[in-house]
Amino acid sequence: MEGSSTIARRTWELENNIPPDSSSDCIFYYDDTAQSKFQQEKPWANDPHYFKRVKISALALLKMVVHARSGGTIEIMGLMQGKTDGDAIIVMDAFALPVEGTETRVNAQADAYEYMVEYSQTNKLAGRLENVVGWYHSHPGYGCWLSGIDVSTQRLNQQYQEPFLAVVIDPTRTVSAGKVEIGAFRTYSEGYKPPDEPASEYQTIPLNKIEDFGVHCKQYYSLDVTYFKSSLDSHLLDLLWSKYWVNTLSSSPLLGNGDYVAGQILDLAEKLEQAESHLAHSRFGGSVPSSLHRKKEDESQLTKITRDSSKITVEQVHGLMSQVIKDVLFNSVSQSSKSPSDSSDLEPMVTP
Amino acid sequence: MAPSSSSGLTFKLHPLVIVNISDHYTRVKTQLNPPASVCASGNASNNGEAMFQQNPRVYGCVIGVQRGRTVEIFNSFELLYDPSTQTLDRSFLEKKQELYKKVFPDFYILGWYSTGNDAEESDMHIHKALMDINESPVYVLLNPAINHAQKDLPVTIYESEMHVIDGIPQLIFAHTSYTIETVEAERISVDHVAHLKPSDGGSAATQLAAHLTGIHSAIKMLSSRIKVLSQYLAAMQKGDIPCENSLLRQVSSLLRRLPAMESERFQDDFLMEYNDKLLITYLAMITNSTMNEMVDKFNIAYDRNTRRGGRTAFM
Repeated sequence: MEGSSTIARRTWELENNIPPDSSSDCIFYYDDTAQSKFQQEKPWANDPHYFKRVKISALALLKMVVHARSGGTIEIMGLMQGKTDGDAIIVMDAFALPVEGTETRVNAQADAYEYMVEYSQTNKLAGRLENVVGWYHSHPGYGCWLSGIDVSTQRLNQQYQEPFLAVVIDPTRTVSAGKVEIGAFRTYSEGYKPPDEPASEYQTIPLNKIEDFGVHCKQYYSLDVTYFKSSLDSHLLDLLWSKYWVNTLSSSPLLGNGDYVAGQILDLAEKLEQAESHLAHSRFGGSVPSSLHRKKEDESQLTKITRDSSKITVEQVHGLMSQVIKDVLFNSVSQSSKSPSDSSDLEPMVTP
Repeated sequence: MAPSSSSGLTFKLHPLVIVNISDHYTRVKTQLNPPASVCASGNASNNGEAMFQQNPRVYGCVIGVQRGRTVEIFNSFELLYDPSTQTLDRSFLEKKQELYKKVFPDFYILGWYSTGNDAEESDMHIHKALMDINESPVYVLLNPAINHAQKDLPVTIYESEMHVIDGIPQLIFAHTSYTIETVEAERISVDHVAHLKPSDGGSAATQLAAHLTGIHSAIKMLSSRIKVLSQYLAAMQKGDIPCENSLLRQVSSLLRRLPAMESERFQDDFLMEYNDKLLITYLAMITNSTMNEMVDKFNIAYDRNTRRGGRTAFM
């Protein structure tokens, strides 16, 4: 019954080198002396690219995503607590801050300092000994990247509160795509020219934000994000499945996100128009080399558009598949008048 | 064993609470038993607490909302407990409550939690102490022992009831059933962490496989549960088990609810949504096939402005 799925999962874990559970619990131990020694040494001062990885605990991820989603279309922010480990920053917990999100507020943290201090104090009493190690905020619907304001806030943080990390979560895209959209970033200091880095995973940015993204995207780099959980967590999550499968089956990703999908398609249409006007201009272009060059840019623009359209469609088709499966399971029972074969037609997969 | 409760309240528990409690417990346990490789010098005070090292009990508060007869538990935070005097640190509780009220203004304290095997007598003191905040607090107990043969969640929820025992009205714990409630975002992140799915996009094929595998496992669970029910009913029919009318009523009401939706309006809406998705797919196909290098190569080859008198007739 459940045996085959556990075997499949164990094989997958083995193939992907997930460390065995018992040793991963020692990550929860907070070693005060080692941490303060690390703080004194400041190895990050010499190398702006020092921290390369982030490990987020299951609890922190859950809290951040739930908080981000509860904000709806308003940006929220909060702080993360944790420690460092060589070139990795470990996030153990996160908590929300009582500030209303507006992108224009640079010093949102000034309001919340009192809250943060009180919260950290009470936490230390209750046995959570880690320090604040970063901040997170949400970009509902427009992707995981740092805006201009975010970059300047993070630069300030990295000057005075090292080691500090910035995390961005997109709850709308998480729900729509069915996987967690999260990014972890650290900024470079002013004027530092980073060596060319490999292209990060492509994500679509809506037109009204694309300028902000483009201007600042070279001033920070993203870190690899991995997750960890304790042995008790894994055990509980395994058992949770015995009650959870109902929610998985009954979830309807299509219902909550109609607004967002319509917005995406509108955005795509605008991008198409822009690309079209570019193409029209390039027809009157002068010498061949320059027009060729411009054509290349539009080419990549057009490929981006096709990629976006495929992504939107894939998500929609997935949602529709769930709906159709549920319909077949629960609706096409006895009535032969409503032919069940109509609703069980699954259309072919869109390949990008 | 505590008897079943009869208060008629339905309880909904969010997975965040479970992960919270588990994290609290793991932290306290690891801090008490430092891993041997890390430290030998610090924590010399451990020697006197040998028996607490194995299974420290942790305590905390659960918060949420109660609407009518439904109690929904959303979140939790830790509490300080003094085992010598058996009292909770009151000022700490109030401070934490204030902080959480600022961020989650809708939630209020619904009860408390602890870890252990079974509800104990001393727990009743804590329960009574919380009664001035909430007249009928709930007690969530998590059993942290990892037992791989277990098939069910080791979380029990207790309520307090007034029973007359030996002529004296006393409060005792009575356990209630609960359901796991979740929002979409929570479900996705729990899924993500539980199965450690590949975090990048992957190709469309892996995304499709992941999505369908999830649904497939859920359907397998559904079918196994139905099999159990049908075997039980068959045994009842044969006469192996005494007939239980309440169960039969429930099963028949369940069956009568199928098909789940049969109205005209539902069919219309469903077909409309279906057609919308087909339209989106069609649009994407067109975009995919036309907006590619063929268009640009065509433009280069048949550019009407740089080749006057050339192939203008074609365009």
